[in-house]
Order: sequence, then structure tokens, then C-alpha cells
Amino acid sequence: MKAWRVLAMLTCLAGLATGAWAEESWKVPTAVKTLSNGLMVVVSEDHSAPTFGLCISYRIGFRLEPEGRTGFAHLFEHMMFEGTPNAPKGTFDKVVEGGGGWINGDTRWDFTEYIEPAPLAAFEPALWLEADRMKTLDFSTENLDNQRKVVEEEVRVNMLNQPYGLFFAIDLPGKAFDKFPNAHNFYGDFKDLDAANIQDVKSFYERYYAPNNAVLCIAGDVKPEEVFEKVEKYFGAIPRRTVPPKPDVSEAPQSAERHATQPDKFAQVPALAVGYRMPPRTSHDAVVGAVVGELLHNGQASRLYQALVKEKKVALDVSGGMNWPLGNPFEYDGPTLMTSFITYPPNFREDDVMGAFDAAIASLAAQGPNPAELERISAKMRSDWYAQLEIPINRASVLAHATLFDGNPQRVNEIPDELAKVNADEVKAFARKYLVKTNRTVLNRVPAPPSEKKAEGGEKGAQ
Amino acid sequence: MMRRALTLWLFVPLCLSLARAAEKEKPLPKDLPSYGPLQPFVAPQVTPHQLSNGLTLWLAPRPGFPKVSLAVAVRGGKAADPKGGPGLSVLLADTLDQGTKTRSAREIAEELQAAGGDFSRDAEADDLIVSTSVLSSKAEAGLTVLADILQNATFPDSEVALAKRNAADRLRSQEADPFFLTSRALVRAVFGDHPYSVIAPTQDSIAKTTAEELRREYARRFRPDQVALVAVGDFDAGTLTGWVESLLGKWQTPAEPPVPAVEKPSQAAPHAVFYVVRPESVQTTIAVGTLAPTRGEAEYPAAQVGVAIYGGMFGSRLTLNIREDKGYTYSPFAYLSPRRQVAVFQSWAPVRNEVTGAALNEMNYELNRMATTAPTEDELTHAQRYLTGTRVIELQSQDAVAAELARLWVFGLSAEELGTETARIQKVTAKDVEAVGAKYFSAARQTIVMVGEEKVIKDQVAPFAIETRLSP
Repeated sequence: MKAWRVLAMLTCLAGLATGAWAEESWKVPTAVKTLSNGLMVVVSEDHSAPTFGLCISYRIGFRLEPEGRTGFAHLFEHMMFEGTPNAPKGTFDKVVEGGGGWINGDTRWDFTEYIEPAPLAAFEPALWLEADRMKTLDFSTENLDNQRKVVEEEVRVNMLNQPYGLFFAIDLPGKAFDKFPNAHNFYGDFKDLDAANIQDVKSFYERYYAPNNAVLCIAGDVKPEEVFEKVEKYFGAIPRRTVPPKPDVSEAPQSAERHATQPDKFAQVPALAVGYRMPPRTSHDAVVGAVVGELLHNGQASRLYQALVKEKKVALDVSGGMNWPLGNPFEYDGPTLMTSFITYPPNFREDDVMGAFDAAIASLAAQGPNPAELERISAKMRSDWYAQLEIPINRASVLAHATLFDGNPQRVNEIPDELAKVNADEVKAFARKYLVKTNRTVLNRVPAPPSEKKAEGGEKGAQ
Repeated sequence: MMRRALTLWLFVPLCLSLARAAEKEKPLPKDLPSYGPLQPFVAPQVTPHQLSNGLTLWLAPRPGFPKVSLAVAVRGGKAADPKGGPGLSVLLADTLDQGTKTRSAREIAEELQAAGGDFSRDAEADDLIVSTSVLSSKAEAGLTVLADILQNATFPDSEVALAKRNAADRLRSQEADPFFLTSRALVRAVFGDHPYSVIAPTQDSIAKTTAEELRREYARRFRPDQVALVAVGDFDAGTLTGWVESLLGKWQTPAEPPVPAVEKPSQAAPHAVFYVVRPESVQTTIAVGTLAPTRGEAEYPAAQVGVAIYGGMFGSRLTLNIREDKGYTYSPFAYLSPRRQVAVFQSWAPVRNEVTGAALNEMNYELNRMATTAPTEDELTHAQRYLTGTRVIELQSQDAVAAELARLWVFGLSAEELGTETARIQKVTAKDVEAVGAKYFSAARQTIVMVGEEKVIKDQVAPFAIETRLSP
């Protein structure tokens, strides 16, 4: 989903944090200002090196792309790098790279972010260019055709030519949810990508790429007042626009377990994806869910690794978590899953693995975590949460999304404390309420000889 | 002996006007503000220290961010594996944390998690690197577990049996991935019989590995005079040194000679296409590679700049050509992968089947352009600033600094390289780039690997009249 260079989509996703030691006082500074056109600006000072990280994130992602245009939010992200009437294609990367930095973009379910880390000397030109592409784009059919090809190669390299084909990120929500916004193939069916035209690009831009639908965050060797002044200078005159109200994307409750088996023409080792529907992001249950996700999946000390890989020896690897793999547990704004991705030896059956999986869930629901385990996961989540706030470009991204979703960048400093308060009874209650079969979807992906390509079970993979 | 090393360097004021940083044919927007003044960058300060048993300790305290990154480099990696056991280092790294004299695998995982860390392991060509990143207040706990693993790993039979079974399936799983297949075929083609030709074990070598053999290799490689411990982050240097002395100071260096260094390989790879058949591939994964100067060698900085101009940046020639102009690929890239004795200069392009030949043709064109002409001053400046600035950005992460220091030690380089490597990049001239271009970039020097449909590859390579054979 990156505009460039990231071959594997599954970047290591930071977990979360809690605890009660000296580190508890470590917080990142923030200053906030909202321009009269509605653009929210967040600054976090960090003078450890003469660089900055800039993240501008728009409240639009895969979820709201139009029907018949799957993959469009991401294709559109690529068009944001294709120039404007003032700064033609190539200008942006020339100026930022030539200033010692790099550029990229990233589309997720509920946001699209554009990021630039660079030495401080490139700050003002980068800001100017970012404002320039919020005013208008070069709506060029030629560039759209070029990026359509690039995106189709991206889908091939990350999905269609890979074992497992991202089924845990694309097919699993496709089976677990019923509404188009939550269930479609976000990377895009090629017929939809091929159908996208320059009018689609224009209307998507006009609808969603407004200052009042974005957060701009700058972290690094800067002073808030100076940043606010420059942002006002370059972004202040961009007019506010009417952004369509968010449609109701909520799902009817799930009443029975869903299951499908999919043949995989490349995989040599079978894999399972298990997805439980999660509570809304704003509920307290979501905070408990974040902790449960890490108790189950965080590293070799986690419950699922110990149960499936070490004790029962029915799996090779386990990974997953809440809102995994496309964000941390606080970066969603619609239905999402707690996902487990498990590879298992070919001489075992799905039932062997799921039997051990169910026993691990049942044990958590019955006994809950012990105090030492809760303390361990608290330390690990705190450590992981800090890691994503360490360098300016990552901090800018996390702050931008706390602001986009909660209106409050200081939430990033509160999350460790919220997580620290989660207790064993809450974990048990969460497991009993959400980690139940009627609330889950299981996909079994099995190696198949090249001739058996047709998938069963009605999943919605790309062509 | 303690020595304080402070490296302060400046961005050399290369070319501050944006007008010059841009290509002539495309003027920059008239209202675009100029670059600001260049700011000095202070490279991380590293205090080198050696224990009496020969263990190297590099400390880079950085107050503020409340974590400590610990990285341990051990000399002797995949190139040091026994002839009959290629890739043994991978299993050695996998099982290193599966038990010590006093801790079970589970206890190790839980103690590190309690400190806020994980155990990471990498089996590289010349070394093994293990690392963790823990909360500052738990640094002693993290260090204690690492020190135990370094000295007292037991490779329990049951854990080795499980690791072997899983390694066999993991290899099957990797063999489904076109990038793994391409990497493996490329090093086999480029290095031939040299020990650098191995990146992974084989089913046969996994089956033959025993717990006893792992214990033997562990005893051979893990010895204080062949180990460096790097710590970066928020800690007190005196306190941490005291912990290291007490946890690792009694570790004995054996009398036997250490793992010998690998010999420098010579350029022997043919200009040919080595292909791997992967039925039903919807892309051909193309990689083109050759031996090139490695870190510490005089030509290395010019090679870095040349690679950046050719294919190492978004604004590079290869990316602008086969992505931004022709749309053949999403992710073309070129880089130097340095081993201690030599680097592999490689460029990759995963492309849809129909344009396999066309993409190779463009790669050849861009390689030959580098081989025959000097870059423009604008290209040179762009690449120098890019390499310098992105290095500063990368080294803001303390995990990255720790990993980089561990690599420098493996290469026999000093910690000051953190600052001087980019300073050397600034001194590279267009003539230097032209010279490395002529020496290493010509298409005729490269070995080509393709992974995909056999018919696609054979049909589209045919017009190039180049020897084409199955990858061994």
C-alpha cells in the first residue's frame, strides 16, 4: 500500500505500552493549532538531530472508495506523487531527495498518509510542495495510465505472485464482513483499476482532499510557533470544502462461525487466518482488546506461540493482533478484526491446529492472565509503543492519527496508562464476549497443484 | 583502556541553490522557497572498551529516549559453516535461545519480554548478530539474559529436534517466495564455489544437523575475543560497564585459533542468465549482479554514489525509466550488499511476464550508460545529499545505530565510520563515479537471474543472444 519501494506490506507493527516504572514519565511534547480552514496542525519538538518528519494524513482510506472502483484510494495515493500545474511530475522527489530526505505514502482502511523525513534545510520547500498538492493536481490521463500500470505491478508483486496472497489481510475481512466498505478487495480487482478514469481522480480529490479533512504533523528540530507561522503562510488560503458525511458502515451482528478453504497455487506449507470481530475503537473494550491481542501474539513468550509452536508443536509460526496487519489497535474507524496468521506443517490437519488454538483461547477465558504475565506484557507494550515514537517521522505519523481519530495528539501519551489499567477480569470478560466461535471467521489456505486454481467458499480475492 | 571519540562533522555546503539541484530542462516552481541553512550533525559518540578476556564493548549513551538497544556481533557466519553443512548458521541462530544451563527457552522469552524486549537473531555471511531492545530500567535484566545465552547455551535435544522439523518446513515455505529464490540463485551464480554462495540451509543439511554439532559450532565461534557487545541508548556508561564486567568478565577465550577469515573471492561469474522455473508466476523477478568494492575500500563511496544515481533512489535513472516512464514495475531497486571481503552490486526488477525482455533491455541500457558516461553535476549533488541526509535520519533510531556499530566491528572498521563514511561521500567527484561505472556497471559484466515461467523467460531472453541455463 506504499507508493514505493516497500516490497512486503507486513511491516513490523508496533504493539502497545503500559507499566509502572521510571519510564512512566516519558512523554512526547505536542502543540496544536487549527487553521481557519479547518486544517489541524500538530508539532512535536525533538532537538536530538537537525531533521524533521512530516506526516499529512487525510481522513479517507479503502473503506470509502466507490463500488466498482476497488483499489481506488490506493491508486489515488499514487496520483498525489504525479505533480501539479505548478510543480510537475518529478519535482517533489527531486526537491525532497535532493534535500537529503525521502518521500512515501501509505493507504489504510481509514486514512491515507503522506510522509517526508529530511534534514531541516529541506523543511520549507517540503511544506510548500505539500500545500501545493492540497490546492490542485495535474489531472493527467497519461500519468494515470502510468500509475495504473505501476499499481497493477504492486498488486502482482505483493499479492498475486506471492504464496498466501495476503489472504489474511484481504480475503479474511472479505469473508468476515458483509458490507462493501468493509469487505472488498482493497488492493483492487484489475477490472476496477482498469476502469478508473481521470474524472474519478478529480472527484475523489475534490471530495476528500480538503484541509478540513486532514491533520498535518511535524516532529523534529523545530519550534511550534515558527511551524504554525509557516503553515499559515502556505496552507492558510486553501479554502475549506464540504466533505461528505461518513456513511453508516456498521455490520449486522455475526451469528455463526464462517469458514472457507482456499487452494493456493504457490504455497508449499498450509496456513490459517482466524479473525474475530472487534468492538468500536472508542469503547473501553477496544483498549482491553489491544492488550488481549498482545497477550496472544507478542513474540515467543505469547500464549499462541507457546501453545501452538512449542507445546502442541502443530504450528511453525504465529503472528497477529488487533487491527493487524494494517495498523496499530488505535488506527481504525469502522469494523475491524483481531487476526491470527498461522503457518502449520503439511502433515497436520486444520483440526489439529484449531484444537490447540481453541484450547489456548478457552484457557485465557477461564483463568485469565496471571499477574506476572500481565506485568510482562505491560512492559513489552510500553517498550513497543515508545519505539514507534522514537524517530520524528514515525512519531509524526502516530501523532497525526491520534489527532485524526481522537482530535487529541496527547492521546499517545495517555495510551500507556489506559493499557496499564487493564486487569485480569477484564481480559477474561473480553475473551468470553468476543473470542467466541460465533464471532469469528476461519480461512484455511492449502497448497494446491497449479491446475486447481479455483477457490471455494466465495472469498473475494483479486483476479 | 578508555578513549573518548567525538565526531563532529558538517554537511559540506555542496549546492544550496535549488536551481542547481534540479535538472536543467525542468525549472523549479518560481515560488518554491530555497533550502534553509545546512545544520551540523553530531554523529553518535562511541566509547570503545575492551575486557581483559578480549571482548570488545562499544558504548554510545544517548540520554532522553528511555530504552537501551543491545547488539552482539559474533565472528563466523554462514561462510564459516562446515562444507558438508551449508546453512548450519541458520539453525545455530534459531536454537541459540532455546535453553541455557539455568534457563529454559520459555524463561528466556519471558524474561526478555518482561524487560520490554525480544530476542532477534541474524545469521549473516561473516557473522551472527543477536540483539534486543529493552526499557532502560530493565537494561540489567536484558543484558543478563543475553550474557547467559552467549556463554551457556545448551541446545537441548528436544528443542533442536523441533527446530529442525520447523526449519525444513520453513525452507519449503521460503521456496515458494520468488524473492528468496532470486536471492539464492544470485549468490550461487555470483560466488560459484566460494563460501559466500550460501544464504540458506538445504533439506539435506537440515536433516543431517545434530544437537552435538550445534554445540561444537557454538563452542568454536562464541568466545570473547571474537565477540563485540554494543549498547546504545539511555544508560550510565560506568554502571553498564560494571554489569558487563561482572556478567561476561570471567568468560574464557580458548587456546584454539578462532574461525579463520574468509578469502576474498575473485570475479568469476559468467555473463549469463541463470533461471529458476516457477510455474504460473505472473511476474518475472529479475536480478542483475556482480562483485563490487566493499566497505572500507577506496572505491566504495564512489560506488555508493553511482548505485544511488543508477537505481538507489526514487529519482534514480532506473526508477524514472522503468517505473515512472514505462510502468514495467512497482519496485525497481539497486543496492550494494557488502560482505567483509566484497560487496555484491545488485539491481532488481519484478516485472509482469510480457515485459521481461523489455525490462532487461532497459536495465542493460541504464547500466551501460553508467559504464560509459559521467553523471551530471546535478545528479551527483542530488545523490550525495540523499545519501548523507538519509543516513542522518536512519541513525536517529538507536536500534539502527547499534546494528550499524555491530556491522562496523565485523568489518574491522572503527566506530568513527558512523560520521566519516558520509564525509567521504561528499568528496566523491563525477570522475570517480565515471571510473567505478566503467569498472563495475557494464551490462556485459553482470550475471542475470530470472525467476518465473520457463517459456516466458526463454522466449524473451532469446533475442539477447546470451547464454541461458537453469540455476544450480
